[in-house]
Amino acid sequence: MSSETTHTLQVCRSCGGGAPLDVHFCPQCTKILTLGRHGDFFSYLGLPRKLALDTAQLEQNFRTLSRQFHPDYFYNATPAERRASLERSSYLNDAYRTLRQPTSRIEYLLTVEGMPVGGDGAGGTQVPASLLEEVFALNEELDEVREMRGGGAAAEQWKPRLERARRPIEARRDAHAAELQALSAEWDALVERGAGPDDRRPVLAALRERMLERNYINNLLAGIERELAG
Amino acid sequence: MAYSNKVIDHYENPRNVGSLPKEDPNVGTGLVGAPECGDVMKLQVKVNPDTGVIDDAKFKTFGCGSAIASSSLATEWLKGKTVDEALAIKNTDIVAELSLPPVKIHCSVLAEDAIKAAIGDYKKKQGKADTAQATAQPTA
Repeated sequence: MSSETTHTLQVCRSCGGGAPLDVHFCPQCTKILTLGRHGDFFSYLGLPRKLALDTAQLEQNFRTLSRQFHPDYFYNATPAERRASLERSSYLNDAYRTLRQPTSRIEYLLTVEGMPVGGDGAGGTQVPASLLEEVFALNEELDEVREMRGGGAAAEQWKPRLERARRPIEARRDAHAAELQALSAEWDALVERGAGPDDRRPVLAALRERMLERNYINNLLAGIERELAG
Repeated sequence: MAYSNKVIDHYENPRNVGSLPKEDPNVGTGLVGAPECGDVMKLQVKVNPDTGVIDDAKFKTFGCGSAIASSSLATEWLKGKTVDEALAIKNTDIVAELSLPPVKIHCSVLAEDAIKAAIGDYKKKQGKADTAQATAQPTA
């Protein structure tokens, strides 16, 4: 996929020359390129499409590009170049913010790979039955605690219950984090050896499933936190 | 986004909330979830072994108003239907009845999935009973 994008061209509005998709300045006239066709966040930042990103590299590339795009340098340039500098800066900030966080990085990868987490996946993914049962039981527990509190029960009665309820779900969350990390490493290995879509797809699907399960886990933990704080 | 009156009615006065004995061979249980929004829905049917008609249906849903309304409506519709009639309930019927907006259509899908899962569980239990009989009385 990345080899395909590097062959695609964008056109320089200043000199009409062609430029590879991942460059920001025209190779012919050196002017900043209008943000029209562009690469994804990874290639925009000059990074491989990997999940264990070299964060130092990310920071450095971000800073370098930020400086190059900075609107102050285009103060006396043509309106088109001034706009290009703003658009490139803004897209750069989006890219940096998204790739900096491991979770949003995974979500973004799934999106550019055509398997978005928040997509119209109605019925597309099956959460394991054991997790569903756990989620259901914990929700019931939360309901009961709410009822106890509604009935004026003392904190000593319901707090230990909530604390107990939290433990298994926290263990789940930690196990999930470990699984995500293992899958991320697997993905990176595939990218490194240039594996084809057939090899990549199952890893992406597994990553997507883990990300979806995260919603359940985070919702539950948030519910418990709210109850403890309220 | 405004909820329709029917959604609000089912949300405020949900029908058939509760549970049926999971181990009962005539009870089918469906537990489904929508990981996108974190909803989880349990729907159960109790089938009359003589008539094959659903005598009772219960649900419990943790989720948004539309998910609760969709499952509440589903249990209302299930009662009095045969197992096969129940399988004919489509999520689009629920969408139409509750006037669900496009962003809430997945709630009706979840309800349909829950019906299918509950009936599937019931059939599996019955199938086990049938195969036990079949082994006892092999037929040509």
